[in-house]
Order: sequence, then structure tokens, then C-alpha cells
Amino acid sequence: MSVPRVPGPRRVDASMDLLNQILRAPVDPDYARVAARVAPADRRRPRGHQWWLALVLVLAGTLFAVGALQTDRARPVQANERTELIARIQAAEAEQDDVRGQVQDLDAQIGRLRSGALGSDDASRALEAQIDEVGPAVGLAPVTGPGVVVVVDDAPSTGDDARDQVLDLDLQVLANGLWTSGAEAVSINGHRLSALTAIRGAGDAITVDYRSLTRPYRVEAIGDPRTLQARLAESAAGAWWNDLAQNRDMTYQTSDASRLVLDSDPGITLRYARTPDR
Amino acid sequence: MIPLIGLALGIVLGLLLQPTLPLGLQPYLPIAIVAALDALFGAFRAYLEGTFTDRVFVVSFVSNVLIAALIVWVGDQIGVGSQLSTGVVVVLGIRIFTNVAAIRRVLFHA
Repeated sequence: MSVPRVPGPRRVDASMDLLNQILRAPVDPDYARVAARVAPADRRRPRGHQWWLALVLVLAGTLFAVGALQTDRARPVQANERTELIARIQAAEAEQDDVRGQVQDLDAQIGRLRSGALGSDDASRALEAQIDEVGPAVGLAPVTGPGVVVVVDDAPSTGDDARDQVLDLDLQVLANGLWTSGAEAVSINGHRLSALTAIRGAGDAITVDYRSLTRPYRVEAIGDPRTLQARLAESAAGAWWNDLAQNRDMTYQTSDASRLVLDSDPGITLRYARTPDR
Repeated sequence: MIPLIGLALGIVLGLLLQPTLPLGLQPYLPIAIVAALDALFGAFRAYLEGTFTDRVFVVSFVSNVLIAALIVWVGDQIGVGSQLSTGVVVVLGIRIFTNVAAIRRVLFHA
């Protein structure tokens, strides 16, 4: 005679079985089992095992000590690794600067060779004039002139709240605002912006031309000093940054500058060239 | 008394001799320590409940430590070492907390 097993109502905490088991049986069940089997008097007088007990406890103590020592020992190693990494980053950045200088030298050389090759007839002079006109605008040539300096920075009481920090988007908006306000050349922390420059966030830092920036961010723009600042204030970028300055307490200062020097963008390379039809 | 002396002696020995663990075993030491803590607190609770037997303690201590390290080692071999060690720490951590709570209730009647 078999009674059909009727599945009873499911326990509410059926899915927590594992946790329940851990919570209910935290002590090795063998303790209870042996305790039930051996008379209490025998348990009180344990002989041979006493030494094992002492040995295991010595072992446990050693384990703790070794663990603590090991963590302690690993700490300076990690600090060393960190400083070493920082040194390597700095070395790589210095190397990058070197290479950039080399690029600028070579650019100047290209310019000289180009004017040498162009000769002095009318067509060549027209081409050269065109190069001189377009060069500063695209960031190929260094430019000097009056303009506007905008200094922006994170809010002073910045915690981990990313909304109180300058984001790559904010700098993009600012740069685009300066362009639309009539700036002829823009640079951020000395990195000249061209049509190929990326302003991006990478980890905690903002990168321009794949170089990370350090706060505060100093945006320089060359343009008509009489109108640039006013037009920036009226533009969408001005409104954006006023909002950030007022509601998020970020630094946003604009000032006129009588003479700014912006380097050329080393990221611009010659991709396409042809000899002029003579 | 012997247990406390043994424990203190072990700590002093470890600090004085400063034995270096082979590099391959170092990742398993923290897990082994957590397992050892679990066995110790379990034993103390059993002692308070009057069911303590040193043979069970010795066996459970050694097997706890070895199995915890072994689980993590196997996890390392199959590429889930960190997840498995998290799991071991969670399970043993819950047990340690439960045991310590029970010990506290017995000792302080609170």
C-alpha cells in the first residue's frame, strides 16, 4: 500500500535552503554526534589528544602571524610598483614631448622645402598665399594674437560626485562655443585643437589629443577681442557654463588677453598631396 | 588553558621565526586563515555547549583549512578562483558570525 506523495505547500524560504543550512548548522555536527556517543566523564579527561590539540592551536597561531606578516610585507612592494609605474608614465610622457618637438622641427623643414620647391611664379605665389591663409585655421601653423582665456575647474568641495566635476562633454561644449563665437584658434592646456582633435574622458582624466589634462583647465582662444567674449556669453556654451558655475559651483572665468601664442597641432599630418599643374 | 597558551605560542613563533611561505601557497593563506577562524569559533561554541571533543576539533580544523585551500586551488585551475574564494569567505563568514553571536549569548547572557 503506497500513499501517494502529495507535495505540501512550498516553504516560503525554500529558495534560501543553502543559507538556512549554513545559519542552522554553524557548528560541526560531529561535536554533537561524538558527545552523544561518549560519556561526559570520558570527554572531560582527554589524554592523548591533548597534544594534538595544542599542536593544532600552535599551527593556527602561526597561520595568523604569517598571514599578517605577509600582508605587511606585500605593502611596500605594492608602493614600489606604483612609484615605478608613475616613473614609467612620466618617462613615456617626456619621450612623447621629445617626439612632438621633432615633429615640429620636421614640419618647419617641410615648410621650407615646400616654399623652395614652389618657385616664384604667379601660380606658386597663389598656392603659398592659400597655404598661409588656411594653415592657421586648421591648426597646421602656430598662431599669435589677442583673444580670450577661459579657466574652468571642478567645484571646490568636490566629493566623488561626477556632476561636480568638469567632464569631457563640458570641455567639448566650451570649445564648440568658442568656435561658433568666432574663435580662429583654440587650445586647451596648451594642446591646440584642430578638426581632428578628440576631447574625451579616459578614466578619471580628460584627454585632448590622447594626452591627459590636469586641472584647472585653461582654454585659450584667439579671435576678435571685442566680440569673442560677448558672443561666447550669449552662446549656448555660455549658458551651459553659467549654469554649471551657478548650480554646481564650478570655476568659470573668462578674461581678455592681448597676446596669446598657440602652438600648431602636432597631430596633423600630411595625408594627401599632388604636384601642381604647371 | 592549553588552547590559549598554544594559540599565543603560535603567534609568537610566527612573529619571531617569520617563516616564508612558498610563493605558490601564498594566495591560499588568507582563505586558510578564515577557515581556521571558523573552526576555532565553532570549537569554542561547542566547548561552551559542553560538547567539545578535541579529536573532532583537530580533525575539523585540519580538514577545514585543507578543504578551503583546496577549493580555491581547484577554482584557480579552472579560472574561477576569485569567485570561489568569495563564496568560501561568505559561507565561512556567516558561520563565524552565527557562532560568535551564540558565544556572546552564552558568555554575556545578552
